[in-house]
Amino acid sequence: MTRRVAIVGTSAIPVGRHQTRADEPLQVLEQEIMTRLVIEAVKDAGVEKKDIGSLVLTLPRPYTLQKYFSTFLVSHLRLNCTGSVLEVMGNGMTAAVAFDRACDEILLGRTEVALACGINMEAATPASEHAMSSMRTTGDVDFHAASGFIPISWYAMDAMRYMHEYGATRDQFGAVAVKNRHHASLNPLAQYRKPITLDEVLAQRPIVEPLGLYDVPGRSDGAACLVLASEDVAKSLGRPYALVRGRGFCHDGSHQINEQPNDMTELIAAKQASATAYAQAGIGAGQIDVAEFYAPCTVVEVLVSEAVGFFGRGEGAPAAAEGQTALGGRIPISTSGGLTSRGHPAYVTSLYNYCEMADQLRGRAGDRQVKDARMGMTTGELGNYNAALVHVMEAQR
Amino acid sequence: MTLPLIPVARPRAYPPRVSAFTQPFWEGLAQGTWQTTCCDACGKFTFPPKPVCPHCWSDSMSWKALGPSGTLYTWTRIHSAPKVFVDEAPYAVCVVDLDAGPHRLRIATRLVEREGKPFECGMPVELVVLQYEDGPMLASRPL
Repeated sequence: MTRRVAIVGTSAIPVGRHQTRADEPLQVLEQEIMTRLVIEAVKDAGVEKKDIGSLVLTLPRPYTLQKYFSTFLVSHLRLNCTGSVLEVMGNGMTAAVAFDRACDEILLGRTEVALACGINMEAATPASEHAMSSMRTTGDVDFHAASGFIPISWYAMDAMRYMHEYGATRDQFGAVAVKNRHHASLNPLAQYRKPITLDEVLAQRPIVEPLGLYDVPGRSDGAACLVLASEDVAKSLGRPYALVRGRGFCHDGSHQINEQPNDMTELIAAKQASATAYAQAGIGAGQIDVAEFYAPCTVVEVLVSEAVGFFGRGEGAPAAAEGQTALGGRIPISTSGGLTSRGHPAYVTSLYNYCEMADQLRGRAGDRQVKDARMGMTTGELGNYNAALVHVMEAQR
Repeated sequence: MTLPLIPVARPRAYPPRVSAFTQPFWEGLAQGTWQTTCCDACGKFTFPPKPVCPHCWSDSMSWKALGPSGTLYTWTRIHSAPKVFVDEAPYAVCVVDLDAGPHRLRIATRLVEREGKPFECGMPVELVVLQYEDGPMLASRPL
């Protein structure tokens, strides 16, 4: 029988501001956070230290002084790994790739238990300074960054085009922010938990038109650890787990902008990757009970909800405004609070999405629990969803 | 046909690097010449200019002039800018579909205002050159 992989344990610190400024007398050290998280996740899983054969770490931000953090962390835990130890980078997709690579370690038979973990520290670095680095991650440095493009400007342009084509409104995007804030109010790991109203969302200052402050992610630090195990090991632990049933990836061959005019808001990579993942799992979009998207802005959640087949083109925004994607709605999305309210510690963001998905499928999401959640889906992405990595997971209780 | 040149009394905030290959583009642009690479084998334009065709992988590329007109596919105005752009903010950027014959081309540029022509997806635009003190920047402007 084909090997399968499951999430059996998770841990995370609340998303927020953890990074210390360089001039503060007492510094927050990444390894002190990460060692505790690994031990907590391993305890949650019920596996033992000696079972861990691989560790996949998300590349830390350049602000993290310690380089080669993966082997540094291995030494702090005295792990004896015979699979792999590495750190991965995929821009916005970094944490999704870490999870995927850790799955591979098990699927390839290199180990029975693997860790996917990471820490993202950046919030003490002023936004305009951090943007000097992030503007070089999207588009062409000499042709786009030089003109002043920034990562979220591409999502803003998606919003503008989508409004033009489908008559969507800022109110409808705003409803996503309100809904996600409500979800975050129920999530102890979330950064922004005070409920907000639609009027408050619309009254915020513009950041990248038509998106305002509450339509875009804030600045966040975070750290999380996932314990993955082969299905055999997962079964032997006698606890609920989230079994990976399908996986799809697609890179559409463009970097931010498709020089051959296409339908930019269709998110073709998400469409194709989700179709692959559904086919592997032997299900359709209609069988998904709960979804955690990598959606940095309100509009992106709407576009992805269409690309993965939850709604037809142009129907995602009105559906969100009607509450169809809220807890208790037809298909709850971002029950964690999403990137705008749970928070967006970019290089580990997807780890938090998998933590939420595992909580939902293991039936321990508390007040955020989607009743009888059996099938869940997660997405990771980079660029303007030029690439998407989609997983379908099933509850095993 | 040369593009309108609009003087800007300051240097560029984040000057692009110039390579031996892209030098003709930047030197031409400074004079108002709008050209990019076109593949001799498959006929597709590509921008930013590239020495190898991304579509058919031919390395036989020629500089070809393109018309200055296009359609505004989408745009945004950036209020939260990186450090070097803060004193220019808010500024607008856009995606433009150019009329490039059978092989259409989509590019992304700075977007400059024109009195009485609020930005709107689908509106006709023309390419212009922002003539900074230290060099040019390609931009679009409502027609």
